[in-house]
Amino acid sequence: MIETQNLTKAYAPGRYALRDLSISVAKGDFVFLTGPSGAGKSTLLRLLLLEERPSEGTAIVGGRNLAGLSRREIQAYRRTVGFVFQDFKLIPSKTVFENVSFAMRVIGVPIDHQRRRTYQVLKWVGLQHRQHAYPSELSGGEQQRVAIARALANEPQVILADEPTGNLDPDLSLDIMSLFRDINASGTTVLIATHDRELIRWTGRRTLHLEHGRLVAPEHVEERGSLA
Amino acid sequence: MKAIRFAWREAIVSLRRGGRSVLLSIGTMTVAFFALGGFLVISSNLQRLLERWTEAAEMSVFLRDDVREATVTSLASELRAHRSVTTVEYVSKDQALARFKADFPELVDLAGTTEGNPFPASLELRLRTDPVSSGAADALATQLVNRAGVADVRYDGQWLSRLFAVLDGVRLVGVGIAAILVLGAAFTVAAVVRLSLYARRDELEIMQLVGAPLAYIRGPSILEGLLLGASGACCALVFLWIGFRTAQVRVGDAFAGLAGPEELRFLTTNDTLLVLGVAVLIGGLAGAMVSRALR
Repeated sequence: MIETQNLTKAYAPGRYALRDLSISVAKGDFVFLTGPSGAGKSTLLRLLLLEERPSEGTAIVGGRNLAGLSRREIQAYRRTVGFVFQDFKLIPSKTVFENVSFAMRVIGVPIDHQRRRTYQVLKWVGLQHRQHAYPSELSGGEQQRVAIARALANEPQVILADEPTGNLDPDLSLDIMSLFRDINASGTTVLIATHDRELIRWTGRRTLHLEHGRLVAPEHVEERGSLA
Repeated sequence: MKAIRFAWREAIVSLRRGGRSVLLSIGTMTVAFFALGGFLVISSNLQRLLERWTEAAEMSVFLRDDVREATVTSLASELRAHRSVTTVEYVSKDQALARFKADFPELVDLAGTTEGNPFPASLELRLRTDPVSSGAADALATQLVNRAGVADVRYDGQWLSRLFAVLDGVRLVGVGIAAILVLGAAFTVAAVVRLSLYARRDELEIMQLVGAPLAYIRGPSILEGLLLGASGACCALVFLWIGFRTAQVRVGDAFAGLAGPEELRFLTTNDTLLVLGVAVLIGGLAGAMVSRALR
């Protein structure tokens, strides 16, 4: 599903955010990207979202080589990718329902389908009863659920999440991770950047450890355990 | 169609949210297009006034008493073929005397005090408007003075040529000032659209990330610019109409007195559409320029 070959991102000569990164994530995988701040986790996600272009190397997602995509192809590609951020990125002036349906509305999805799908994903994340609330009226966990519902709205093949539990307390973090596991169980590939080793251990999925922009540890699967 | 509907809704929401900055932008567009429309109204009315005066302007070519008939016939034919001349009328010495008597009956005795008929025969020329305005009539008058058989040339249109030149200058300055104001207004529209982009930055980020087409991303900004331009032009046209009606009441009679049957006229339909079109275009371009950075 996701393949990178010698993926490199340098912001200045000799200053690498990512260096020669070669990873492979199969369709339906659930993978954690971990490492300290500045390790290159977010950079990798930005490259996969095509918010930035790599300095060198290739990234192939869902069979698309991201290097040669035209503007229209980038738009089409992004419709196949869901994203979740630490700061939720909800639109404060829109209700929960509007925030979720907005992702469909702006790509021209028919209104009936928008409504149906919005109810569906809100129900799925357990927030159908808060559909008329504004983000400011929600807890952090609820806001992140809305963001996840929005990421799912367009039925993406892959979900990219950048520190999705970074602003949440441990209990809420577990709830969110459970949601991601459910999403993955339905066949969606999930790639989550986090530095929360406890959460990774609890979730018990494959981990890619980055440091200074490089893959430093061999890929391994963390044992699933319980939080202390 | 969906993109247009979306852009329309977002643009309206954005304009409502804009408050004072939107009013400021519409205000500057109004001032700019009021100036542009005002110059159009004034210059078109002045143009008509001058054309009216020009139509009344004549050139009289006075002939020597000893001129041969063949010379007169040849000169008249030549003048009829001249591009500046519309009609040529030969006025004989007798006709000139008869006209004098008819026009100044109280001076009839004066004409009798001289021996013979003191009035020269002449060729009276009506001129086209365009050559007068371009000064070609002046050149013709100078040229005719030196012709065989011509005693003198009287042309009262030189001052009209000068007025046309002044009008051209005023028009140039007017268009220049209006262009500067319109440019300023375009920058204000761009600033307002930029502000609304800033207010919508969260939405725009999401739109880009979910792969929204450019029509959805840039459309609201372009439409916002178009609406600001159209609103400014409509306000300008309303104020211009009010100003025109006021001027009509105050100086309409004076204008009619100067221009004969002509009356003060407002912008033609074409000019009105031109003002609206330019405003909409400028607004739309400003919106498009600002939103160009969005991909």
